[in-house]
Amino acid sequence: MHKLFNACLVIAVLVSGFFLYSLEHSTRGLERQIAKLKDGIVDEREQIKVLGAEWSSLTRPDRLQKLAQDNLKLKTVTASQFVSEGELAAKVPQAPVFAVDEKSKDPIADILKEMQ
Amino acid sequence: MSEVLQGKHDDQPRLAGQNRIRLVAICFSLAFFAIAVQLGNLTIIRGVDVAEDALAQHQPRMPRPDIVDRNGVVIATDIAVASLYADPRKIIDIDDAVESLTAVIPDLDAKTLRTKLTQPGRAFVWLKRQVSPEERDAVYNLGIPGVGYVNERKRVYPLGRLAAHTVGYVDVDSKGIAGIEKYLDDQGAIYTASLSEPSSQTVTPATLSTDTRVQFALTDEVSKAVEKYRAKAGGGIVLDITTGEIVALCSLPDFNPNQEDKNFAKQQANMMTSGVFELGSVIKTVTFAMAFDYGVTDLNGKYDVRFPLVIGNARINDYHAQRRVLTVPEIFINSSNIGSAKMALDVGMEGHQEFLRRVGFFDRLTTEIPESAKPLLPKHWSKLATATAAFGHGFAVQPLQGISVIGGLINNGLMTQPTFLQRDVAEADVLAKRIVKPETSEKIRYLFRLNVVEGTASKADVIGYRVGGKTGTAEKVVHGRYAHDKLLNSFIGAFPMDNPRYAIIVMLDEPKATPETFGFATSGWNAVPTAGRIIERIAPLLGVVPKFTPQDIEKLAKLAKTAAKDG
Repeated sequence: MHKLFNACLVIAVLVSGFFLYSLEHSTRGLERQIAKLKDGIVDEREQIKVLGAEWSSLTRPDRLQKLAQDNLKLKTVTASQFVSEGELAAKVPQAPVFAVDEKSKDPIADILKEMQ
Repeated sequence: MSEVLQGKHDDQPRLAGQNRIRLVAICFSLAFFAIAVQLGNLTIIRGVDVAEDALAQHQPRMPRPDIVDRNGVVIATDIAVASLYADPRKIIDIDDAVESLTAVIPDLDAKTLRTKLTQPGRAFVWLKRQVSPEERDAVYNLGIPGVGYVNERKRVYPLGRLAAHTVGYVDVDSKGIAGIEKYLDDQGAIYTASLSEPSSQTVTPATLSTDTRVQFALTDEVSKAVEKYRAKAGGGIVLDITTGEIVALCSLPDFNPNQEDKNFAKQQANMMTSGVFELGSVIKTVTFAMAFDYGVTDLNGKYDVRFPLVIGNARINDYHAQRRVLTVPEIFINSSNIGSAKMALDVGMEGHQEFLRRVGFFDRLTTEIPESAKPLLPKHWSKLATATAAFGHGFAVQPLQGISVIGGLINNGLMTQPTFLQRDVAEADVLAKRIVKPETSEKIRYLFRLNVVEGTASKADVIGYRVGGKTGTAEKVVHGRYAHDKLLNSFIGAFPMDNPRYAIIVMLDEPKATPETFGFATSGWNAVPTAGRIIERIAPLLGVVPKFTPQDIEKLAKLAKTAAKDG
């Protein structure tokens, strides 16, 4: 009786030991994964910051103004050019302001292509 | 052992030592129990908290928050940069290392690199500080033994000079030196902490009241004016008078906060807050508001300005002498010194001082940025001091304070402490301070608009945006005397005048007359048209809806006709 009981206990210890070990092993794996993901998040955040700074630098108003002056035929908008929503229908010109070519439907894309 | 077991069977007296064994057993089990409880407590009950505490101790200090404008445009941010170093002792083939390094980073000089790496006995040399991530990766991929990098953080200002005076800058150790950067270090530490998320070490950015687009329009036009009128310096502020938010502030010459050494000259300081100036006739607005508020006169009042005003040895004269009896609105639009002085004298010395104290001209105006100057007031307040202070002589204030007070006079008499950080309307309503009655404010608005329609500020009349304003041409004090040829011109305006929201000040230091201004150098010929151009550019950005009166439409038709003729 005692022997059987002890044998059961030994088996229980082995089983629980194995169970504990495999649990710990998988936990370690998960922890590694978490650490990796966290590092990834930090890297991504850093990347976002750099890109944000770059975007901010590329869309600097003085840079945009220079590009617009060099490449577009636009002037400062005057107050009289603003139209309220109600009057909009009456102000639509008969002919389109931008002459759209047959080939391309996007005049701005053409300008960008020319710049390249 | 057998004796102990026997003790169970018969009631023999216990053996010596049995009690001791029990005591030891109890102690051990208590200790093990305590350990088990604490283990359970730390891992199961408080498990998550403890883990976080441990992590927090590991992590570096709170990162410096980014600074963004009111639309979220990044103005200042920290980026990780790598600095390359080498341990010459560990490099096996120096020629090969030099060759591959110069191939990857073209601006490294092969010769200096070789001398650096061949120094005997050196264990550490910097190859290049603060390289880009691409360069870092490229060098890492070369895999040269003895070459490595360390991560550093660097504060960058992607917009460069734009809004530099507001943002300020940091030193090499990321310590705030000027502007909002300094604020974030000082009393703003609590503010900075409030921006951080409790669970992670990220910080949401500090949001300024600045609008980058408005800031650029202001800076661009002021710098054009400084060039055109050959002025020594220039500056401007756009203020939201309903909330006290400073939408844009520029002071020229400015500086680039990205500059490596921060040795900025004195002229590059923020003159709009750290300098005090006699604003001249602009201050007449305050005098008029005072006279209306005390009920000394109203819009129908009349003053005799035929003769210079003599007080003691001093004579007060007019620049545009009219030599007749003027009504109060005429005094305003002709900017009569005599008339304004007489109004102030009618109020009296005590009343004048009380009013100036009420609007805050006796105190230093402080905002978030550390740069602020105390107003300079007459030392002895005499009758003459009252008369001259009425038209802005003898007392000097920060331009920011000037626009803040006049903004308050126009904003229904409610003045709000100006701020460089974003503020909502509810918060502004709590902070607003009544300085004059709403009726007084209404009269001042009428005078402001009138002055632009038919007075000295007519060149700021941007049709559709209902601009109002007052010009000021102050002679600068040189060696204790007013110099007739050294002017400080200013214009304070507001728009749209039917429901004023924004106030603007433009200042030009010593502008010269040009052929285009027909030899005039007064404010109406340089500061005013500059302000007009700024308003034309910023009003659409600020969402001011244009409105036209029948007269405006007539004017526009006329302009279109002349344009057609010229074109």
